[in-house]
Amino acid sequence: MESIRNDVFDAQACGSLTPKSKPCPRPKPGEAAGGCSFDGAQITLLPIMDAAHLVHGPAACAGNSWESRGALSSGPSLSQYGFTTDLNDNDIIFGGEKKLKDSIDYIAGRFMPPAIFVYATCVTALIGEDLDAVCKEAAGRLGLPVIPVNSPGFVGSKNLGNRLAGEALLQYVIGTGEPEIEIPLGVNLIGEYNIAGEMWDIEKLMKSVGITLMSRITGDARYKEITWAHHAKVNMVVCSRALLGLAKEMEARYHIPYFEGSFYGAKETTYSLRQMAYLLNDREMERRVDRLTEREENRLIQELRPYRKLLKGKKAVLYTGGVKSWSIISALKELGVQVVGVGTNKSTEDDVRRIADRVGDDTEYIPEGGASRIIKTVRDRKADIMIAGGRNMYVAMKEQIPFIDINQERHKAYAGYEGLLRLAKELTYSLANPIWKLAASAAPWDKEEPSYDR
Amino acid sequence: MTVNKRSKPTSVNPMKIGQSLGSVLAFQGCYKALPIVHGAQGCSAFPKALLTRHFREPIAVQTSALQEMDVIFDANRNLEEALNTILSKHRPDIIGIIGTELTDVAGVDYQSMLKTYKRERNMRGGLAFSVTLPDFRGSLESGFSSTVEAMLDEMIQQVGHRGSRSVNTRQITLLPGSFLTPGDVMELKEMISSFGFEVIALPDISTSLSGHLLTGFSPLTRGGVPLDSMLQSLHSGLTIAIGGSMERPARRLHNALGTPYKVFESAMGLKATDDILQFLHQISGEPVQLRYCWQRENLLDSMLDAHFQFAGMSALVALEPDHLYTVSSWLEELGVEQKALVTSYETPLVVEMEREVWVGDLDDVELLGKGADLWIGNSHGINGAARLDAAFMAAGFPVWNELGAYMATSVGYRGAMEWTNKAANLLMRREEEHRESSIRYRGWN
Repeated sequence: MESIRNDVFDAQACGSLTPKSKPCPRPKPGEAAGGCSFDGAQITLLPIMDAAHLVHGPAACAGNSWESRGALSSGPSLSQYGFTTDLNDNDIIFGGEKKLKDSIDYIAGRFMPPAIFVYATCVTALIGEDLDAVCKEAAGRLGLPVIPVNSPGFVGSKNLGNRLAGEALLQYVIGTGEPEIEIPLGVNLIGEYNIAGEMWDIEKLMKSVGITLMSRITGDARYKEITWAHHAKVNMVVCSRALLGLAKEMEARYHIPYFEGSFYGAKETTYSLRQMAYLLNDREMERRVDRLTEREENRLIQELRPYRKLLKGKKAVLYTGGVKSWSIISALKELGVQVVGVGTNKSTEDDVRRIADRVGDDTEYIPEGGASRIIKTVRDRKADIMIAGGRNMYVAMKEQIPFIDINQERHKAYAGYEGLLRLAKELTYSLANPIWKLAASAAPWDKEEPSYDR
Repeated sequence: MTVNKRSKPTSVNPMKIGQSLGSVLAFQGCYKALPIVHGAQGCSAFPKALLTRHFREPIAVQTSALQEMDVIFDANRNLEEALNTILSKHRPDIIGIIGTELTDVAGVDYQSMLKTYKRERNMRGGLAFSVTLPDFRGSLESGFSSTVEAMLDEMIQQVGHRGSRSVNTRQITLLPGSFLTPGDVMELKEMISSFGFEVIALPDISTSLSGHLLTGFSPLTRGGVPLDSMLQSLHSGLTIAIGGSMERPARRLHNALGTPYKVFESAMGLKATDDILQFLHQISGEPVQLRYCWQRENLLDSMLDAHFQFAGMSALVALEPDHLYTVSSWLEELGVEQKALVTSYETPLVVEMEREVWVGDLDDVELLGKGADLWIGNSHGINGAARLDAAFMAAGFPVWNELGAYMATSVGYRGAMEWTNKAANLLMRREEEHRESSIRYRGWN
């Protein structure tokens, strides 16, 4: 078996990866928010926990970003190491390819990873470093997959980076390995990054009905299992529009049917499990799924009762990336929380349609505009809580708005039935905290007092 | 004495932080400021996320959001668009354009573009300047001090040449280094003003990243030193710089305006605080306030209490150059063995240190610091410290595993006492854990 496949990624397939609507409009200088494509590629690939991830560029691309993502590992931790070629002036002038080659050799010799991912950055792309050639040469020499990821920051947004990482997987990883034992009914999870350990809750559910998780792409993944992802019977695209192209291409190449689903909320979780069993075409499994989901949903109804009482009628503004917009809405609705404003800045037309299906007509769509726009919506709609990413957290704190972190740096897992219960608890803790009253009250000497009668 | 470098082609677990992040940090200490990182989106998104995580505050920063074609054809068109948007929407007092490795390698001339822009739009009354900070040179510290230098330069150009300068001998300009926390800057301001001086800190993160509750969101910085105070600082009778990296900005003031300056390379520990207070006492003729006499005794007493804990202990320090120097001199006073001193890049200060200093990454730290009892460095070191079985003490940038790290104080007698107790407590707890595990081990046999 060759460690890197020779067939070139054909242009036809590449075309089909581009969604019809343009999902990544040009960011506005002076008003842009969010990460770059390099960031996006790392978000997708860093959860391959046993691989080494080498950033070819100046120090800060890796230095400012390593250990900043909340994808957890159940074992190996090599992907948590920050590797960078740390280019200096001289390398930029005379070229950094020699250094890159030496770095690959050094990592291979010292850490013996199953694979090395090499990331281009703006500078190395600009000075024309031939990443592909260096990786190919090193792979051949070392007998080790060395995978170039051509997603420098300036090609676009985070979303595009996710997609480019998916392309790297298709081109260099998927289809290059065979599982040790044959798995007859395996499912791939695509675009689930095991933030705060969500993957583990999902895996438990799948296991309990006998669905085998074939490859995790890429939350808590091992390199090897992705190489045999093409043997799966079903692909589930979890909450990541960016990797839909990967599923589509796998359908074209390997005839693996895919569906898009989510694990946020009981209804979505049940639907996703059912869909898996249905596509696996196994009656017995479908019955098992029905039994499990019924039992879990009933249990949840009991356990959610006290929280539902408190949460009923509460209003939330949700501002998060792409697909999570609609999937979290379902979860919130099940808890009785009304979504009065929702961000659509990173959503595609499909996402927006799904959002519309789930919210009422008087929900405000927040297309873009960052913190001030979100806060305005919170105020206008008299929302009780804001649900968004870490970057907006302290903006909400300053405005004394209860807040829940929903993005990649958070520490709470909200997927599956257990996750919904956790979400209910978090919402309640956040809303009921005494700090909101204390922070809103002035110091005694700042309060107006009636003057004493003398 | 010596600065060494381990030879290996790769940086493993980098310590180096981009210069541009240091620059963004400096701007946070100026009121109504907005730095624009002239580069790809990530060049501002990463610093923003990291600074937010450390300070637990919103961070003001924008980007020119360069994409491939912009870099090839005309990156300054993006910058102009960014400037137009920011000026019409937010009206900042201070705009800083931070050139990145991307604009540097592409050879973008934003300096003259900015000049033309300012002239054409007749921009007056604020500060707008650029600073070139590619990430393949320096680190957080140099980015911070270069920005302060560029800022002073711009201020001097605006008002410096106009007429004769009146000097206010009761006013001191404080240039705090990048390693000082908002709590540190506050402590230093108090210390200096206790001798009757007016202090203008530049930048002043003590009033912007220290946890205010101002409502009404703005994309600009919400605290820090306002522009008129900044300009006022040009009349100061003296500049006090804390940290070796701040000597250059201080010298800039001296060369342009003749303001004398005094650099304190450290403000941590007994001797360093003694030096500062003695200096202030001498130049002001005022007595040292009673509270500092008390604090001095408190510190000495806590050092006495803790010295049992430090006996035979060794520490490793992995911090930015100025910070490394300060912490090393504090450890000296405690009699703790210094197993390894590792920093991100070479500066004159670390070259002149009497101890052996290494320029490297956290992987080097693990190798050089084998057997150390205490690991002092940023939060990236948590795993390495665990592998070495050393107690981990969070310091420097970034610190995300502790609340309030940004308000922790290390300067002055009070700060040294805080650090001494904290370090000793960590060692005490580690000793207890070890004892427990050895009891358990015997139980198994």
